[in-house]
Amino acid sequence: MLTERELQINPIVQESVLHNTKTLTTLHNLTASLFGVGAGILGLESYLGFVFYLIFSLITSALVYAFRVRPGIVKEYFRSSIELWTGGLFEGLSGFVLTWTLFYGLVRA
Amino acid sequence: MAQIPVQTIHRDPQLFYWILIPITVVMILTGILRHYATVLMATTPKKQELPAIREQRSLLRGINLRTNANAISPVSFQARKDYLVNAYEKGDFLKEPDKKGQAAPNPMTDPAAMEGMMGMMKGNMAMMIPQTLIMGWINAFFSGFVMIKLPFPLTIKFKSMLQAGVATRDMDPQWMSSISWYVLCIFGLQSVFNYLLGSDNAASQMAQQMGQMGPGAGAQMFGPGVDPDKQFQAEAENLSVLAQEYTLVGVEERLLETVRV
Repeated sequence: MLTERELQINPIVQESVLHNTKTLTTLHNLTASLFGVGAGILGLESYLGFVFYLIFSLITSALVYAFRVRPGIVKEYFRSSIELWTGGLFEGLSGFVLTWTLFYGLVRA
Repeated sequence: MAQIPVQTIHRDPQLFYWILIPITVVMILTGILRHYATVLMATTPKKQELPAIREQRSLLRGINLRTNANAISPVSFQARKDYLVNAYEKGDFLKEPDKKGQAAPNPMTDPAAMEGMMGMMKGNMAMMIPQTLIMGWINAFFSGFVMIKLPFPLTIKFKSMLQAGVATRDMDPQWMSSISWYVLCIFGLQSVFNYLLGSDNAASQMAQQMGQMGPGAGAQMFGPGVDPDKQFQAEAENLSVLAQEYTLVGVEERLLETVRV
């Protein structure tokens, strides 16, 4: 944890953190809907579908981590690396359930 | 153990074209309409008188000085602090200096405060009216149809919620009626609106309810019923107890540490 003095010397700009979080949220929302389409077309049921969502959103986070957040400096852009890995997981879930149900119903009708 | 056979219900594919897709499309369009209605109904801030603006801005100036105190040298901080604290305590910046010390007026009688409340009412109306209308529309036209099956199992408790209007005792709770598809749309369309309208949209009911829980700090600060004199006194106190530490102290050593010889 940074001390107050170090925070003054290397300040975290609130706007930039907000912008990063917003961009990540948009990405997660969009991909969650697309994962729902995938899960619905594959006809996954119960746990399999949620595991599918979990794995694929973690893969998304891993891609962001690998290509956008250079390893080692993740702290400068997010408050903690937990935020990067789990941040979008719950926001996307409702969108995932919606498209999953829709496409499952359309395909298996 | 005997396996419970999976229920299959043969549904007319026309159900999709005439119920599922219309509900979804209507939900999306309502969200877009609500977004633009909110944008159009947003009243431009009323032009304020010079003393009122001065009162707000000078308070903001104190707050800004407090947050950025470490960026200026001790001498200039001291000068600014002395000026501001003195002026705050004497009440130089007050809108009505002669009313200092009196109780704040009743917010109900203040016309400026009524304006703010009207704005809040409009926001609530934009949320309530479409919700009521669509609920009534779905209940009137589509109640009692079994539409779609959830891809994950649920306990029997959800039966009354998901199968509202379908009174079949032995049906699996996974089957959903049209009204529960509507509920699912309310929760799940956030990402669609994010994609269509940008992330600051006013389309989603969920976002509106979140916004009501944590009211903005800016609205609170100059809200009705708050005595500006008390705010000035509090800000003067905050400024005078602030321990300022100049960021550039010892910058030479820090710079030299980064240089490898």
